[in-house]
Amino acid sequence: MPSIDILPARAASITQAGQPGAAVRCGQTSVAGSVSQRACVFCGARVVLYPIADALHLVHGPIGCAAYTWDIRGAQSSGPQLHRNSFSTDLQELDVIYGGEGKLERALTVLIARHQPKAAFVYSTCIVGVIGDDVGAVCKRVAAATGIPVLSVASEGFKGTKKDGYRAACEAVYTLIGTGDTTGISPLSINLLGDFNIAGETWIVRDYFQRMGVEVVATITGDGRVDDIRRCHGAKLNLVQCAGSMTHLARKLRDEHGIPFLKVSFFGLEDMSAALYDTARHFGDPALMERAKAIVRDEVERVYPELRRYKEQLLGKKAAIYVGGAFKAFSLVRALRTLGMTTAIVGTQTGDKDDYAQLREMCDAGTVIVDDSNPLELAKFCLEKDVDLFIGGVKERPIAYKLGIGFCDHNHERKEALAGYVGMLNFAREVYASCCSPVWQYMPRRAGGAA
Amino acid sequence: MRKVAIYGKGGIGKSTTTQNTVAGLVEMGKKVMVVGCDPKADSTRLLLGGLAQRSVLDTLREEGEDVELADIRSAGYCNSLCVESGGPEPGVGCAGRGIITSINMLEQLGAYDDDQGLDYVFYDVLGDVVCGGFAMPIREGKAEEIYIVCSGEMMAMYAANNICKGIQKYAESGVVRLGGLICNSRNVDNEREMIDVFAKRLGTQMIHFVPRNNDVQRAEIQRKTVIEWNPKCTQADEYRTLARAIDGNRMLIKPKPLSIQELENLLMEYGLLGN
Repeated sequence: MPSIDILPARAASITQAGQPGAAVRCGQTSVAGSVSQRACVFCGARVVLYPIADALHLVHGPIGCAAYTWDIRGAQSSGPQLHRNSFSTDLQELDVIYGGEGKLERALTVLIARHQPKAAFVYSTCIVGVIGDDVGAVCKRVAAATGIPVLSVASEGFKGTKKDGYRAACEAVYTLIGTGDTTGISPLSINLLGDFNIAGETWIVRDYFQRMGVEVVATITGDGRVDDIRRCHGAKLNLVQCAGSMTHLARKLRDEHGIPFLKVSFFGLEDMSAALYDTARHFGDPALMERAKAIVRDEVERVYPELRRYKEQLLGKKAAIYVGGAFKAFSLVRALRTLGMTTAIVGTQTGDKDDYAQLREMCDAGTVIVDDSNPLELAKFCLEKDVDLFIGGVKERPIAYKLGIGFCDHNHERKEALAGYVGMLNFAREVYASCCSPVWQYMPRRAGGAA
Repeated sequence: MRKVAIYGKGGIGKSTTTQNTVAGLVEMGKKVMVVGCDPKADSTRLLLGGLAQRSVLDTLREEGEDVELADIRSAGYCNSLCVESGGPEPGVGCAGRGIITSINMLEQLGAYDDDQGLDYVFYDVLGDVVCGGFAMPIREGKAEEIYIVCSGEMMAMYAANNICKGIQKYAESGVVRLGGLICNSRNVDNEREMIDVFAKRLGTQMIHFVPRNNDVQRAEIQRKTVIEWNPKCTQADEYRTLARAIDGNRMLIKPKPLSIQELENLLMEYGLLGN
């Protein structure tokens, strides 16, 4: 097997744990010629906002932008399902020439009358930015005419990286906050920021907090509701899970509404427990801490015996991780350790310098650490490190399967909840089933044939 | 078929000059099509006797793809053929894309085919070539001969020089060439001499000096070209001369745009003469 080269311009974005050297280059636009695994600004905004289930999500642009992000995460809702539609203004050549404002206004008017949403989000795509449609003015007019908030999401695809899309999403959602009544909100209350309820995680985590005696005011945006978001400034603490997407909103809520935030993770036994303990500690209520301890004890007891059985089978196996945000990467490194596995490769699309410094510290020596990677690099590292499992999203799946490596979807397409204690058990089952499947011994890589 | 595009600063008189020149050519028996490339759709008013034309883009918008050449092309003075691209209202959409779409449409419909028997097609392009769409006629070999309308006013010369930069760029990769400057006089001091020298420095010629004459305005009020309005007046002969000059022109070059300093020096030199 010939070795795979790395683009010279990419070298600074790759390092190894346990090796000295400069900080990982990150937070930059992707290198030309490197087929980045990142999505565009629009897609970033779309994935963050779309789980708000009782809102209308209208993509102002050519049909492809809507089609390729249609129900992109499969986010679950306990009530309305409106978000699972992908509405589009379907801009075509003459709309581009004559401007899309009229079509946008008609689409909004018809859709709001038909679906009676609590709010509407209008996503700007590349072409809208080029022809300069005044989306804000249209939103304002339709809001006045229909009486619901109509929010412009400034997510023109070419404006930057996926992270700029997160920011546009936070800005749009922030305009809703502060418009609802906060009476009756408990002094022990939180918002959950950055869980998207892809396989019911929001419900699992919400249940732990409620059992602890903490009121969850709004979940942003998993199983999200417009009215909850409007009053979420009444909560006393924000827990930020997907730090990449939601830190901007958490900072705004801290700076303008005085709500502190904690960065947490709900993946893995350690991180889930830390999130419960940190919350109890923040409120300084001893009874809360007692209840948190009881929950952790009960839940860990329930899942531990089965986890141990998987650990025996998985001991010493090696994994590659490539995910969107660094907090998920931290959690996965720890969760794999719980299962007796090591992390041979870990990378993210949106991590920052501090995140990579932390990864360097927490990973075993020799672990490859990479920012904004591409399929060739990931294939190279997977082969060199001879990993048994790849944990990533839809774009990483074919890389793993082509190389004959087990795969675990930890992103949009997962169907098993991976958060909380039960989520850890689900994760372990999936990792075990994938890594230990007999199918891999027939792959050329393991069977000794040419890969 | 000769493919000609007329460029120049906004308000310099491109549409007026184009139509009066076309009137001269059709009077000579040439078969000419004029394609207006301005969202205002006012490039064929004098040939048609009013803004009678439905634009390509409006037709496309109202009728869908099922458009025929007869829907978007009208016969004007002396069987000249008139087309207006049209486009959006000011401040919305993308007029540049509109030009691209409508020229593609005309090609699809066979407006340039040999069986149309055209001697000339004239593109009359909006003054400020603000984006790629307005450069469409000089890209991809649509127009091969450019004439720039200018005057001795500084901003008109500045614009002409800038347009030469665009032509230079596309001339390197394609067939487009500069055919000359048409001086549409504003009665600026030493105008004829200055534009003559300016043209030579660009590597081209002043193909004609069109004197200022209120007959142009009088004819416009009547929605006519000067030749149609009063074939005997002296200004009609000026346009006939211009038409003949273009018809006989074989001097097609890649322009050499001036630096700003060279342009300023030229203005100083001629603008101050005689003061």
